[in-house]
Amino acid sequence: MQRNRPPSAQTINVLRALSADPVQWRYGYDLATEVHLKSGSLYPILVRLADRDLLETSWEPGQGSRPPRHLYRLSAAGRDYVATLAPARAGKTAAHRRSRLSEA
Amino acid sequence: VLLIPIMLLGIAIAMVRRSSNTVLSSNTVPSSNTVVEGPRTDAPMRLLRWATGLLSAQRSEWGQAMLGELGSIEGRGRRWRFTIGCVGAALLLPPWERAGAGVLAMFALAMGGLGLYASVIVRYGLGSKSLVGVAIVSIFLLSSALAALVLLRRPGIAVPGLLGGLFAALVWLAASGFTFFNLIDRVWPAWALPVLLIAVPAVIGVLGTLRGGSAAAGRRTARLAGISAGLGVYLYGTLAVAVLGAGGPPDDSGFSANYKIDDRLGNNLIFYLAFLPLVTATIGWSAAAITARIRHLPDDADATHLPATSYVSTATAYVSLPMPMPYNAEPTVRGGVAAWPRSARVGLVSVAVAGMFALAFTTGLRG
Repeated sequence: MQRNRPPSAQTINVLRALSADPVQWRYGYDLATEVHLKSGSLYPILVRLADRDLLETSWEPGQGSRPPRHLYRLSAAGRDYVATLAPARAGKTAAHRRSRLSEA
Repeated sequence: VLLIPIMLLGIAIAMVRRSSNTVLSSNTVPSSNTVVEGPRTDAPMRLLRWATGLLSAQRSEWGQAMLGELGSIEGRGRRWRFTIGCVGAALLLPPWERAGAGVLAMFALAMGGLGLYASVIVRYGLGSKSLVGVAIVSIFLLSSALAALVLLRRPGIAVPGLLGGLFAALVWLAASGFTFFNLIDRVWPAWALPVLLIAVPAVIGVLGTLRGGSAAAGRRTARLAGISAGLGVYLYGTLAVAVLGAGGPPDDSGFSANYKIDDRLGNNLIFYLAFLPLVTATIGWSAAAITARIRHLPDDADATHLPATSYVSTATAYVSLPMPMPYNAEPTVRGGVAAWPRSARVGLVSVAVAGMFALAFTTGLRG
């Protein structure tokens, strides 16, 4: 049974990076560089997103001695998910700030 | 003395078998899939290719994705950093299926052995010098558990390997009559040595090869069986020392109790954590090679088949390629023993056989 745990901060960073231009296909290494993630963290995140159908994958044909590269972008479900994620996270952050202010 | 040539013989047979099959398998890769101008085959690429081979079949696409990405990364430092991260991911990426339980069992055996070892040192007050022993035992146990982790991730190896390990461990314990003293002082009946050192590993190697359909499957099964049996028997042996201490039948060696305990712990390490896995893996390896040769099985069935084209891409901007490049396919390069003339390879095996018989004869004369 697949568990749908809340996304980690790293997963959210990846989702946001992908949602910056949802139509654009992205390389794994460029994505890792942009969100400052090591490959050992990025690929498990991409695997989980793809398992949940939030990610589309494709292959770019190799050129000369360059091998084919895997490409990623958000699926329609992924875009919806990011859209629901942003207000929820923002609301959560605002609530957290309010509670800290009231404590002060 | 007798075991060294036996292991040399095993290694020689396996090297010859493996070399001939390297050429065979590279010739059998379909020409349309052969990498003509493939990615750079530097150390990071080779390491990552090995690690991605550990992924389950349903994750093979991600292994190809990592390899493809590495092929486009420039700079040695960047390539190594990317590779090391991906190797970690490949080792830990689920699904683990049956391998997960096996890994837990292996780490439990290793931790149990280490805990018992430490408790014996504390209980009998073996002194601060024994801390070096703890470090050595930790390295052996951790290495064994990690090696088991890698083998358990190989498709189709976990169950036969662990069953083989259980079988080997039971035979080793049966040879000692399931008694603590016989096990830690290695008091074995006459039949035990050939059975423990040759018959059991050979049976595991043969059955592993037949079940897995390749010599590589047999080798991996034998390696996993050796490691898991070693961890199990070592735990049992350390438990024996914890229970018996310096006890046992009276002897006139004149050694102190602490010396005896220390000696028994050290012997346990050498025999059950180093020697048992080594001899099981080596003899199993040669048995796998011979079985594959007799049954005309490939050296590595996985290497000659491409990953399944199991995904459907929704790409619009790029051409979708199902598993585009067989990175596992090695180029046809004859190196090492494979580059030797056939007569030299046969000679190597002959020398090992002759050495084995000569030493066996000499040992028999002395005995």
